[in-house]
Order: sequence, then structure tokens, then C-alpha cells
Amino acid sequence: MTAYVVRRLLLLVPVVLGVVTISFFLMHMTPGDPARDFLGDRASQQSVDALRHKWGLDQSLGAQYLHFLRDAATGHLGTSLYFGSPITHLLGVRLPVTLLLMLLGTVLAVLISVPLSVLSTASRRGYAATAVRAFNAVVQGMPTFFIGSMLILFLGLRTRVFPAGGYPEGFPHRLWALVLPAVTVALGIVPLLVRSLNASMVEISRSEFVAFGWAKGLDRARILLHYVVRNSSIAGISILGIQVGALAGGTLVVEQVFALPGMGSMLMTAILNRDYPVVQACTLCFAVLVVLVYLVTDLVYAVLDPRVRPS
Amino acid sequence: MKTRTVLAAAATALMLTLTACGGGGSSSGSGEPQAGGDLVIARADETQSLLPTGPFDNASIWTMEEIYDTLLVPTSDGKGVEASLATSWKQSADKLSWTFKLRKGVEFSNGKPLTSADVKFSLEQGMKPDANVSFINQVIKSIATPDDDTVVITTKQPWAPLPADLAMFGNSIVPKDYGGKTAAEFDKKPIGTGPFMLSSWVKGESIKLVKNPHYWQSGKPYLDSVTFTVVADANTRATQVQSGQADVDEFPAYSSLSALDAGNTKVGTFESSRVDYFIMNTKRKPFDDRNVRLAIAQAIDRDALIKTVQFGHGEAAKGYMSPALWAYDDSIEPPAYDLDAAKATLAKSSVPNGFTTTLTVGSGDADEIAAAQLIQASLKKLGITVKLQTLDPSAVSDAKHAGNYDMGFTYQTTDIVDPDEIIRFAGLDNGGSNTLYTFYKDAELEKLADKADTLSDQAARKKIYSQIQEAINEATPYVALYYSPSVYAYSAKVHDFHPYPTGNYNLVDTWVEH
Repeated sequence: MTAYVVRRLLLLVPVVLGVVTISFFLMHMTPGDPARDFLGDRASQQSVDALRHKWGLDQSLGAQYLHFLRDAATGHLGTSLYFGSPITHLLGVRLPVTLLLMLLGTVLAVLISVPLSVLSTASRRGYAATAVRAFNAVVQGMPTFFIGSMLILFLGLRTRVFPAGGYPEGFPHRLWALVLPAVTVALGIVPLLVRSLNASMVEISRSEFVAFGWAKGLDRARILLHYVVRNSSIAGISILGIQVGALAGGTLVVEQVFALPGMGSMLMTAILNRDYPVVQACTLCFAVLVVLVYLVTDLVYAVLDPRVRPS
Repeated sequence: MKTRTVLAAAATALMLTLTACGGGGSSSGSGEPQAGGDLVIARADETQSLLPTGPFDNASIWTMEEIYDTLLVPTSDGKGVEASLATSWKQSADKLSWTFKLRKGVEFSNGKPLTSADVKFSLEQGMKPDANVSFINQVIKSIATPDDDTVVITTKQPWAPLPADLAMFGNSIVPKDYGGKTAAEFDKKPIGTGPFMLSSWVKGESIKLVKNPHYWQSGKPYLDSVTFTVVADANTRATQVQSGQADVDEFPAYSSLSALDAGNTKVGTFESSRVDYFIMNTKRKPFDDRNVRLAIAQAIDRDALIKTVQFGHGEAAKGYMSPALWAYDDSIEPPAYDLDAAKATLAKSSVPNGFTTTLTVGSGDADEIAAAQLIQASLKKLGITVKLQTLDPSAVSDAKHAGNYDMGFTYQTTDIVDPDEIIRFAGLDNGGSNTLYTFYKDAELEKLADKADTLSDQAARKKIYSQIQEAINEATPYVALYYSPSVYAYSAKVHDFHPYPTGNYNLVDTWVEH
């Protein structure tokens, strides 16, 4: 088991290297100039060139890449061109916001998906199952920014229960401010989660050990919760793990809509302003995060299902 | 006990309000300014830097202007300048130097007095080649400080726009040697003589400014603090003002204005110097042919654009100069919208049967995309097939500077109240933008602009500026589309919030009802 974890952690190196290399060359090959963006259209070419030199952007792409690799390997992520702050400092402020948002989003996705799947499985071809299917179709058809804006409009402005975006001072206020964004993030993966959980539950309820449960005379609730739901959680966890990449990507839009100072909104700003070091740092973080979540998913999977012990 | 105290306080407040209504009769609160309170301004972009000679983005400039003062400031109508840190200014008889007398008793936010040495240091930072205002300050030859209250600026040639140049944000006054800090340190902890000073700055999230206790205008500012928050999404900004979470929405979308001008929020439209342009790359065929450019200009319906894109806000442009500046000339007539005339003009051109071309637009810019679609439909009637090319803003800027596009959009606002900046930037090849990225060149116009700057008589200068604008309309490297107002949505509790035509809003007079 330990050997397996170590091997998987070592695999993290080539994966992350690949991701940051691709993003480095993609970003630098995209037209646009951070120095021109910073100094504005009216600045002279001389001023722009001076700033490019100061930022090391006048060096060859290969030299800049090697420079980046050397710094990243020693833990130096550099200074943001746009924000003018050390990137480690920016990440220290912003990473917790995004992690909390993703965590809350995941918890909410589970809290919404499991009851819906149970309801759908229990009623099979009844009204409840149709309602769940309809809910799924509608939610899946709505883009994230639309769901976010609607939540702000109805729960932020009309009822004033939640703030209309922003990230206030104090942990309880912040947690409250994260509820609507977390619901938005969660709704992005709920349809897929419900469908796979439901399929898994239907399949399990047809299996022999469930039939045995019925034969023993167990009640319906006990069969559903103890036999069906528990066993379908294996499928649920693997789907949830795969969706973490989508969840991370979703924070880009959600943080923008809800004005949250997290990694997603920082990455968005960095891409639009060609803030190369920040784009690299954010990509690095997201890549590590996704790979680690995949690893944890596989481990949890192994714990839940003794048949798939890693060797 | 606690509840009772709150109730008692509420009752007192209610009584006070009723008394105020009965006595003063100004329940709307537009009368006497009230001191105190925090003004929350939600804006789309992050402040990049607070170093006066660093950045060039509005989010930085407008924040800076609350922290620093300049020697002179634009008048509220944007047509001239008035005293600020300098109380008087005079041009010498040979027109080569200007003498400024500084206001007495002005202190920086750290309590140190302002002297001429601070002014000299500040203006010299803007003369360095990598400074954002170097293109403005390059005319300054030397700065002398005969005594603590006097600054003498010598220019390389007679230079009428100098007072306006000194009212620009890049010429904000900072303490000599940045108060013993490096430029980078000063950027994080700036010191100025303005009404507010920096309290906290969480990058990408918010900036909080608090009242400067050493401010030279006694009793001002009224506000205790100003908080700028970054809210990128226009819908969220609008909702925050409606829910009371923010007091001012810096850039409401035109489409949301009627909804925002209701209940406890209002919309303010202020005169601005913004002019929007449709540009053509004259380096590329067939735009090197004036008949092609003129035909396109005759096919653009400005009024339809204002109605659709601007939701009726704005005025059809005549020359490239905004009415906010004194060089605007109402008698200038641009090529009129006339599809038959456009077809006839195109028939005389190198491509009488039309051609295929691209129009570059910024991604996510709903206004630009709407304008592009209207123009695309209109040009189709001339036989010109237009493909829309969508690039993100940074790539659009790159394409324009490199001349790597066929047709596109741009807009300009002025930083100074003198027309010199825009005359050169938008009308000349050597003015900093290659005639708004069209690469159109007319050496005669450069000579005319140089001549105008040496004249002290405003009427004589205006005549030359009209001549330059007429010449540009005649050559049609671009089409001036419309003059747009600056628009803000804000809470009805906010009073005396009034941006200048130069775009900056001095919050020294602003107050909130509470």
C-alpha cells in the first residue's frame, strides 16, 4: 500500500511538469503583451520595452522556460506582473477561498444528489423519478453563470438572505457568503452524479443480496439505505473524484460572478492580462490538486471495496 | 436591557429624522452635507499600482486621485484648470518658462510640510523614459526651486498646454525621494496631500482609503473612508448597489440602466471625453484607397448604433474631438450616412464590386459585438463581406499596435483638459498611436499641431485644431462614431458625486446620508 502511494506520488512529477509546460508555451504563444497592458495604449514603445526588459520578457522563450523551471523547482514562484505582489503571498490569501468553495461545493453536491437518487430509485417509474429527471435536465441545461446570477437575484437581492457576492470579514460571514457560490458549483456536477448514482442503485437493487434481504423480510428503508445506498457509494465516489477537475474549472466562472477573491478569479484576471507567472502558479496548483484528489479517490475506493486493493 | 437600548436609540433616531423633516424641509437630504460614513465603490477592475508614474488604467488613476494632489486641477466643466497645490501660475514674457506659487500650510498625510523640492522630485519622475507620462513631460527642459514656495518650469519650446499637463495624474505630487522609500515600497505605502490615505489593500479584492487628518481643506472630506471593491461581473455589481451592499457601481451596462434608475438607486450620466471610433488599417489593401474608406464611412449609420448599442445614450460624432474639450467644433460635418452615395463611392474605388475582409472585436465586449454586427449588415449591402474575428482584449491591443488587423474599434478619453493630447494621439502618425492604429500619415498635420502649441491665443489654436479635424474627416482613416457619456449607478443616499469630463471623480465633496 505504501509503495503504491509513493509510486503514485512520483507519477505526480511528470503529470504536473507536462501541464505547466503546455500552459507555459500556450500562454506565451498567445498574442498580447503584459507590459503594454500595464502601461496602456498611450505609453511609448520605449517605456514598454524598458518594462519588458525589467520583467525578463525580452529573453528567448527557451531561456524564460528554463528560468521558470529552475525557480519553480526551488519553490520560487516569482512576483505577479499585474498585482505586483509575491505569488506565494497571493496564493496564501486565495487558495483557502477556493479550497473552501470546492469543499463546500462537494459536500452540497453529495447532500443534494444522494436523496434525489434514493428518491428516484425508490419510486422507479413514479412521479418522483420523473421529477428528478426533469430537475436534472433543467439544471444541466443552465450555464453556471446563469445559475449564479439567478441565485444572486432571488436570494441575494429579493429576499436579502445572502449577500449579493463579495467576501466579507470574519469566518462566519465568509462561510455564509460562500453558500450561494457553493450551491452553484454543486449544481454543476449534481446532474451527472444523480444519473450515475441512480444507475448504480437500480443495478444493485436487482442483485441477489438485495433479493435475499427482501426474502429475509427486511423493511424497505433498511434495504435501501443499508444495502443499496451503501454499495452504490463506490460508484458515487469515483464519479465525484473525476468531477473535481470540472469543479476546479467551475470556480473560474463562479468566483467571477460572486466576486470571490479566490484562485479561479485570479487565474481569469491573470490570463486576460497576460500575467504569465500567476497563470503558471495557478495551473501548477490546480494540477497538483486534481492529481492528489484522484489519488485520494483511488485510496478511498480501495478502502470501501476490498476487491480492488491496489498491488 | 440591550433590546430596550436599541429601541430607545431607534426612537431617538426616528424623532431626530422627523424633527429634521419638519424644521429643515429637506427630507431628500440634498441640503447640508453629513460627515462620516464609508462609501463602497464596486468596480470591474483591480487597481494595479498607486505609483503616479506607473500604470495607465482607470482603476489605478481614480484611486490615486483620492490620495495625491496635483499642482492644478481640471475645472468641473473640463474646459480649463484651476488652483490646487499651486495657487498662482504665470508664463514668462519669452513664453519659455512658467512660475508656480505653492499653497502655504499644506502637509502630507505623514504630517511633513509640502515644499518646492517635493514638486521638483515628483515632476522629474514623470520625465524619466519609462514613466507613463513621459510623452507629456518630454517638453519640460528643467525645473528650478528658487525658494520653498516657488517652482519654475522651463520648457523646450513655448508650450501652452503646460498647466493642463500638470493637472494630470502622472504629475501627482509625492514627497521628495518618496519619503526615503524605494518606488516599489512607496507603491505599497503611498504618501500624498490628497483627501484620503491608504489604509489597507488586499490585491484583487479591495482597497480601503481613510480620511487624511492633515488634509489642507478644513472640514473635508466628509466621508470617513472609501472602499473600492473588485466585482468583475456587471450583473453582480448592479445587484450589490440595489441591495445596498455597494454605494456606487462604476460601470453599469447600458442595458441595465432603466432597471437601476428606480427605487433607492439612481443613474447619473455625466459628460465625458470618450469618443468611440471605427478604424481601418491603411497599410493593408484595399484600405489604402481613400474611396474604399469613404464608402465604408458613408455606410455607417451612427444614429442606429447609438440606439442599439448605447440604448440611446450618446451623441453622433462630427469630428474626432469630444465636445467636452474646447477644441470641439460643431460646424464640422463628417461623411453622412447614405447607402447610395456609398455604393457610388465604392464604384470609383480599386474594388468596385466589393471584397471580403475581417472586423476584429474584443471577446466579452457586448457593445463592440453589437456594433460590429450592425456594420457587418450595412457593408453587406455594398458587396463587402465582413467576417468577425473575436480576440481577447490583450490580443486586440497587440493586433492594433502591430497593424495586424483589417478593421476594428477603439475609443479614447483625454487625460488632460487641453486638446493637445487628443489632437496628437488621434490625429497624427507620430502622436503615439499611428493615427489610432490606422497608420495614416500626413506630415502637414504634424506641422500644424506643433504650431498650435506655441500659440497662447486659444481662438487661434482652435482654428488650427478644426483644420486638422476636417483633414482627418476628409481622408477618413477612421470614422468617429459617437460621443459617450460616463455612466454610474449609485444609491440615492450618495450626494455630490460628480465625475469630471476627464473621467476622474474627486470624492472630497461627496457625502452619504446616514
